[in-house]
Amino acid sequence: MIYLKPLPQIEPGNKEFWDGLAKREFRVARCDNCGHYNWIRLPACRSCLSERQTWTAVSGRATVWSYSIVHRGPGAFRDEVPYAVVLAKLEEEPRSCLVLGNTVGIPVDELRVGLPLKITYLDVPGENVTLFRFTKAD
Amino acid sequence: MPRSRQAAIVGVYTTKQGKLADRTSFSLQLEAIRGALDDAGLALGDVDGIVPMYGSDHLPGSTAHQFWAEQLDERPLRLMETGVAAGGLAKAAAAIEAGMCGVVVLFYGKAGWQLGPRGVQAEATAPRVPDWAFEQAGAYMATWYALWARRYMHEFGATHADLAEVAVFTRYHATLNPGSIMGPKGEITVDQVLESRPICEPLNLLDCALDNDGGYAIVLTHAAVAASCRKTPAWVLGGAESVCADFYRTIPEPWFPEEGKAVRRAADTAFSMAGVSRDDIDVAGLYDCFTITTIRDLEEMGFCKIGEGADFVKEGHCLLGGKLPTNTDGGLLSNSHNGDPSGMHVIEVVRQLRGECGARQVPDARIGAVLSQGWAVHGIAGVLILGAE
Repeated sequence: MIYLKPLPQIEPGNKEFWDGLAKREFRVARCDNCGHYNWIRLPACRSCLSERQTWTAVSGRATVWSYSIVHRGPGAFRDEVPYAVVLAKLEEEPRSCLVLGNTVGIPVDELRVGLPLKITYLDVPGENVTLFRFTKAD
Repeated sequence: MPRSRQAAIVGVYTTKQGKLADRTSFSLQLEAIRGALDDAGLALGDVDGIVPMYGSDHLPGSTAHQFWAEQLDERPLRLMETGVAAGGLAKAAAAIEAGMCGVVVLFYGKAGWQLGPRGVQAEATAPRVPDWAFEQAGAYMATWYALWARRYMHEFGATHADLAEVAVFTRYHATLNPGSIMGPKGEITVDQVLESRPICEPLNLLDCALDNDGGYAIVLTHAAVAASCRKTPAWVLGGAESVCADFYRTIPEPWFPEEGKAVRRAADTAFSMAGVSRDDIDVAGLYDCFTITTIRDLEEMGFCKIGEGADFVKEGHCLLGGKLPTNTDGGLLSNSHNGDPSGMHVIEVVRQLRGECGARQVPDARIGAVLSQGWAVHGIAGVLILGAE
C-alpha cells in the first residue's frame, strides 16, 4: 500500500523532530532559558525570545482540546472518510501546546472534548518518514 | 464636513461571481480595476497606490508593486499595502491622509481553482509540504473552523442549530440580492442546514461559504478628489488592523478570552478613531466564511458579549429590519466566496451607504462597520468604519 498523503519536507530546522518520531519520541522545542515548551517551534521562544531551544521528548500524554470528523477529504484523503482531525493539548505546561493530528484506533463516535490521548507512531511504508497519531490513553 | 485630506471610498466594482471557466485571474483583476475607477469617474493615470489582495500580487510581498508598477505603464506607485481588505484600506486611508499618495485601488480576481477539498487532487507519489502543515492531517479551512466551532459549542453550550441560524438569515438576504449566487435557490431553514451533508463535523455543507470565481476592486481617495467623483463618497471614519497568529498550524490559547483577541483590538481602535459607538452602526459586513465565524465576529467586534453571539443571531438582530443588519448581500455563505472575498463586505456596506441596494436596502443607512478576518481563524483582522457623511 503506497502512502500518497502529504508528507513533511524534512529540513535542518525540523529534522530533530522527525528523527525523534523514528525513535518513538515526540519532541517539542523547550526553551533553555525559561523552560517553556513552544509548539510549533519558532526561531525563538515565544515567552522570553531566547534563541536557545532544545528538542525535548515529552510524555506523549494529551487530551482532546477540539476535534472534527471529516467527511470530504482532499486528495488522497478522499477514500478515507470519515476520519478524525484533533487538536490535542499536550500535558506539558505552562504554555499550552495544541497539536493538530489524526487518530488511530478511536471510533469517531467516541471522540469528545477532554478525552485522554497518547501519542503513537507510524512508520510510513516505502518512505524514510515516521508520523505521529493520537490514540486513546491506556 | 470632512477633514481636508480625509479618505473616502469613491469607487467599487464586482465582476460576475460564479464558475468563470473562460476567464483568468488576471483578466478579472484588470476588469475590476477598470470598473472601480469608472464607478468613481477616475482614470488609471490618477492611481498612485495599490493594495493587491492575496493571489493578485503576482510577485510576493513587498515586490508586488514592481510587477504592477510596470504592468500599469511604469507608473511610479507611492504606496503598496497588504492585508485583508478592511485592514489594507485602513492603512491606505492613513497614507492618503498623511499625503503619501492620492488615489489607491485595492483589487482582487481569481478564476479556475478552488479553495476547498474538491480543488486538491491525489498525486502519484506522496507530495511534500512544509514541516507541520495541516495538509498532512487531511485538514483544510473547513476543518479549522470546525475545530473552532466544536470548542465554542463545548465552552458555551451552543448547538449546531444555533450555528445554522446564521446560514438561514444570510440566505434570506441573498434572496433579495439579484447578483447573489444562492439567492435564486430561495430561502432555507435550520432543518435544511442540519440535514445538508456533513463536511467537517460539526459543520455541514450549508454551514460553509461558497467556493467560486470572481473579482472586485475598491478605489480610495481624499476629500478634494472625492468632491469631483461620480458617486457619493463613503468616508473612512476609522480603520485598523491587528494580527496575532500564524498560518493555520495551531490556534494559540486562549481561544475565547473575555477581552477578545485580534478582532477586538482592531475594532476598538477603529471605533475609537471614528468616535462612534457600536449602537451607532446601521449596517455591518462581517466576514462569514462559516456560520461559526459570524457568531464569533459579533462577539469579538463588541456587538455582544463573548459567548452571546448565537443568542444575538437568534433574537433576529442581524436581519434586515433588526438593530444590526448584517451581510445584507448574502455574505460569503450565499452571495460569493471568490477565494479572498474580504473586500466584498466593504463593497456591500459602501452600496448600502450610497442607497443602491434596492430590495435589501437598509433605510437611511448612515454608518457601517466592516470586519475582514482570516489566517488561523481570527489571526488577522481588519476593521473599517464608514460613514455617508
